Amino acid sequence: MSREVDATYPYQIKQATFCKYELVTPNKEIHLNFPQMLELRRKVNELTTFDSLNEIINSHNFALIYVADKEHLLYLDVPQLLKLQEELAVFFHSPAEVYV
Amino acid sequence: MNATAIRKQMSIHPDVMDLLNQQVAMEMKASASYLAMASWCDQRELLNSKAFFYKQAEEEREHAMKIFTFINDNGGAALSPEVTNVNNDFESLRNVYETGLEHEIAVSESIFNIFRSARKEGDLITEVFLQWFITEQSEEEDTFRSIIDVFDLMEGMPLKMIDERLPKE
Repeated sequence: MSREVDATYPYQIKQATFCKYELVTPNKEIHLNFPQMLELRRKVNELTTFDSLNEIINSHNFALIYVADKEHLLYLDVPQLLKLQEELAVFFHSPAEVYV
Repeated sequence: MNATAIRKQMSIHPDVMDLLNQQVAMEMKASASYLAMASWCDQRELLNSKAFFYKQAEEEREHAMKIFTFINDNGGAALSPEVTNVNNDFESLRNVYETGLEHEIAVSESIFNIFRSARKEGDLITEVFLQWFITEQSEEEDTFRSIIDVFDLMEGMPLKMIDERLPKE
């Protein structure tokens, strides 16, 4: 398990093979399969609701997310969390030719 | 829908999948609520009503499982829901059935909402899958309304006598 600290670059998602994806973080590339991508999307969506963001801002001002079946731990402040949410939304809704 | 990057992994739209997961939670909550109603009737020896609600509880769980497996079978991620705040307190048998009808209407409305969303996103697989649920909900609502009609027709009769005239399923 690794812990991601400090991130100034936006998070990026790339398609490695037919069913393998890469989440590019400022420190490393995390390999994910599709169910792990779905789980990441669920967690990030849960953390970026209005109430959750309010709670984060009014408490520690960061969120920790386990990724890739708890193999990695991401440390995200609110802008990073929102960037990752945006990236995931683009990934799940973008036309096929962007990734394939 | 056909053109999204994840189409090779998932046959259903991700936003529709989220709504389907919410529906699983709603069906499981309905199942737990019917179980509470069955228990209320069972404790008062209302034999037909208790059989009816035990059956309803099972049916709602079957509905939830149908949606649950549908999500996974189509490449999505089904989520096991948390069921909280189940009401176990009722004022009368009629109130139990009226609450049941309210549950059914809420479930129907939720399914209509997913159906509309699936249509908007071009998710034909979910749209066709939900058609069975729409027919089923129409039947469920009719069953509850018919039972509430019996209460109106037999107003003032002993509760046990009313219960004996109600369907077991």
